[in-house]
Amino acid sequence: MSFVWRKRWFVLLFPLFLAITFWHIKVETDLNAFFTATDDEDSRLLAGLLKSGELSRRYLLVVEKSDHVSAADTINGAENPMSVAAFSARLLSQLAKLDDVEQVWPADQPPRDWVDAVASYAPYHARLFSLNPEQDAPELFDPSQLPAKAAGLKQALLSPQGSFVKAIAKQDPLLLSLNGFKALQGQFQQQAKRSQGGALILQSRPAALDAEAQTRLQAAIQANFAALNAAAGEGFKLSMAGVPVFSVAAQSEISQDVTLVSVVSSLAVALVFLFLFHSFSALHWVMMVQGASFVIGTLATALVFPQVHSLTLALGASLIGISSDYPIHVMVHCAKHRNTPLAAAKLLWPSLLMGGLTTVIGYGALGFTGFPGFEQIAVFALASVVGSLGLTRWVLPALLVNSSLHAAHLPGIGAWVDFCGRHRKILLGLFAASVVMAVLCLPQIRWMSDMQQLAVNMDNLKQQDAAVRAHFSSIEPGRFVLIQADDWETALQRSEAAERRLQSLKQAGVISEYHGLFPWLVSKQLQTENSQVYQHGLTPEFQQAWQTGLAQAGLSVEKLGTLALASPAALQPSVVMDSPVRHILSGQIVSGQTGVMLSLWLGEHDPDKLIAGLAGLDGTRYFSQKDQLDQLAGKYRDRSLVMLGIGIGIMALFIWLQQRDLRKVCLTLLPSLAGVLFIFATWALMGEEVSFLHVIGLLLSVSLCVDYGIFFIDNRGQDADVTYHAIASSTLTTIASFGAMGLGKTPTLPILALSVSLGVSLGFLLCPLLIQKPKN
Amino acid sequence: MTIKRTLFLLLALMPVLGWADDAVLSELLTRIRQTGQAQFQYEETRVLELADAPWHGQGVMLSGADGSLVKLQLQPARVIMAIAVQRMLYWDPQQNQRHSAALDSAGPAGEQIKVFRSILQGRTEELQLNYAIAADKQGPQWTLRLTPKPELSSDDLPSIELSGDDQDQQRRILITQPDGESTEYRMHKATAAQQQDYSLPSLLREASGE
Repeated sequence: MSFVWRKRWFVLLFPLFLAITFWHIKVETDLNAFFTATDDEDSRLLAGLLKSGELSRRYLLVVEKSDHVSAADTINGAENPMSVAAFSARLLSQLAKLDDVEQVWPADQPPRDWVDAVASYAPYHARLFSLNPEQDAPELFDPSQLPAKAAGLKQALLSPQGSFVKAIAKQDPLLLSLNGFKALQGQFQQQAKRSQGGALILQSRPAALDAEAQTRLQAAIQANFAALNAAAGEGFKLSMAGVPVFSVAAQSEISQDVTLVSVVSSLAVALVFLFLFHSFSALHWVMMVQGASFVIGTLATALVFPQVHSLTLALGASLIGISSDYPIHVMVHCAKHRNTPLAAAKLLWPSLLMGGLTTVIGYGALGFTGFPGFEQIAVFALASVVGSLGLTRWVLPALLVNSSLHAAHLPGIGAWVDFCGRHRKILLGLFAASVVMAVLCLPQIRWMSDMQQLAVNMDNLKQQDAAVRAHFSSIEPGRFVLIQADDWETALQRSEAAERRLQSLKQAGVISEYHGLFPWLVSKQLQTENSQVYQHGLTPEFQQAWQTGLAQAGLSVEKLGTLALASPAALQPSVVMDSPVRHILSGQIVSGQTGVMLSLWLGEHDPDKLIAGLAGLDGTRYFSQKDQLDQLAGKYRDRSLVMLGIGIGIMALFIWLQQRDLRKVCLTLLPSLAGVLFIFATWALMGEEVSFLHVIGLLLSVSLCVDYGIFFIDNRGQDADVTYHAIASSTLTTIASFGAMGLGKTPTLPILALSVSLGVSLGFLLCPLLIQKPKN
Repeated sequence: MTIKRTLFLLLALMPVLGWADDAVLSELLTRIRQTGQAQFQYEETRVLELADAPWHGQGVMLSGADGSLVKLQLQPARVIMAIAVQRMLYWDPQQNQRHSAALDSAGPAGEQIKVFRSILQGRTEELQLNYAIAADKQGPQWTLRLTPKPELSSDDLPSIELSGDDQDQQRRILITQPDGESTEYRMHKATAAQQQDYSLPSLLREASGE
């Protein structure tokens, strides 16, 4: 195909591919999808917990007296100031009107639908009155207690809860169905003491990770608060916590990072390019080639994965620097040797191909480290490097046909090559000594064990979160008892067994409190046991004593005196989960791929004693989100080290297939491997905590540096200075593009920036030292 | 012809009858509008669906200028039920039962005590939101009948009958729930001496457990 047609096709297809990409792509901004692996059941569970469920849509709001007003009140003795509780009640009624609010309620009392849900259990009272029916029966079915119970019922009917109690008493005169809910009542009473009316729970309609909607909602909450507070003389302050608060903050940080890295990376590469070639025309066409490579990478990722993560695009933007390496090599040779671009591309093609292959191997190995985000990056890199190589070989010569190129002379390049040649023996001696010292330093490497260090730094938000949570129940958000079984019945039986142990552990002081599933969900086995105990306790004497008690209390024997037999049908979990109760249990029913998973929430506890206390229970284990994340970090690290080794091995194999010379293979790899060794040793000496991301960065730097070795040994232009100039140019663009990632606030980006930049810089500098200058 | 004339007269006088009714209503609403502090002795009779006989209680009601309200039951046992700004408080020392809830989310009990406060403190604008109000005056005796507006019948609002005399020393409030349960209060203003016995702020503190 003629150059004219190649150019036309390129100009036609580029916008077309761009349009298809825009039409097809769905960008994912959920950080967890990028960071959390889903290759085993626990990881899937963790990922699910982090991003789904009604709990994740909840805000915890705390209204307090503002500091200056509290002080002023104390000094001036302000007359009848509005109480926190009164202000919270007004705020609650305002927030309830917001479109994005599904429900808002005071933390110290259950929402109305919870109360209604409790009342719906009355028909099943005989089947779920106790977790330990045999143990509780003597007290519950003691006839001598019945007059007091009847008097209590009368008082309850007269109390503010009268209508609620009446509805239950008509079906369950002994109020047995409320027995199991006493713990729930206790939780709200404790909350009332803790929050003093200023704590609210708000459940949003939009998902926690719908950052746009959550941002809008947070603004509306603040606006409503500000309006009420202004009317109340600015006497209050509002604090917010919850998953949506973090997701909005994280989303904002990541969006800023993506924009910053993309813009700075593109600008830096463009500036380096202009400095190197002094040609806007060439810059224009090379940027078009890079843009096309980026689009090809994005489209391929969008086709392989359902959604493309925004961090993939941010890290992908750094590939612009790598994919510009191939055109740069062609253009340096073209400018220095006064070749046509086509001739230069043909001349360098074997080296370009091998260089591209090793880069793809490096990124491919990245995809197998188990880190889910990097699977996307691997596909992205594969497609964009292949695209860049193809465009460099077949399209770039057509685009550059009318551009005049003037390669800049980079000062010091030739001098460094000559210096290495002249003092080779001394330098190699120093190098050998450094290698020995570096190897000796390696055992001191400190591995990062806390994956939280890789998350966006939100210390201020975390402090605010802790302060807000101090006003709420002491249930710990990330640690719970996990129950797993193939079916509901087994899962519930296991959950009940675990709850009995937790009751004992609570009495022993191992745990402050827990939220179980009883009596919201009760196994058939326990329902049967309850109904048998109930039937056994329902003697004629007991019935008679109850009627006597009712009469003494002035209650209707006719309406309350008949204690009905247990309902013949058990309460099925499926029925419960179809009712509003599913909202109450949201967060405790965990969706797994197989079977049923239930979680029992824990208050403050001693993990070791708790684990020991749960020992021997089938399908029951302690789950700690943080431990799980830390285990994942360890797993990623081990895999990334293995993949570093495998990646280097495969690169060596391909180089050997091309060169058929083991010495050349070793020489090609040596600069990059030495660079990696020295960087590891430096980190060990500095006490830097090394994570799998550091290793992954070095893997990338190896895949890039190996290219330098290939080009330097191949020296296809028969001019070592020109070849090293081309290598220097591509090193500069790589540093420019990866260096831009160092500006990101997401710790992932600076770590990769540092690892790759250090790796390629050292590899570049070691090339002429370790590989003897090829003859021209 | 006689029927026609009667009908004509009825139609002609109807607006006047309406004005007369409006005037009475307006006068009575003004009469029950309460500002400032007030204290009443009360006797309560509750007819419960699940009780064999009516229940009787008695105590003191204290109404504050800021909208707070305390119903202190003294017989048969001491129980405090109160509204402090926007919260409902309940304290039964004998049963050791204490509840505190935002008024708007306290369910039917909260709604009922809000209505009661509206009646006692004459918050007629609140009552007129949910109720059709009819007034009747026979000599010194007057009666206000509050019937839930038909469009709000799903809210299970009680019907209320409020009656008293020109002296304003006694009042009778009858609250009838849709399910037939009823509560009748017979109240009379506490004497100056009786008013010394109880303080609204201290009762509110007792109810809230402070």
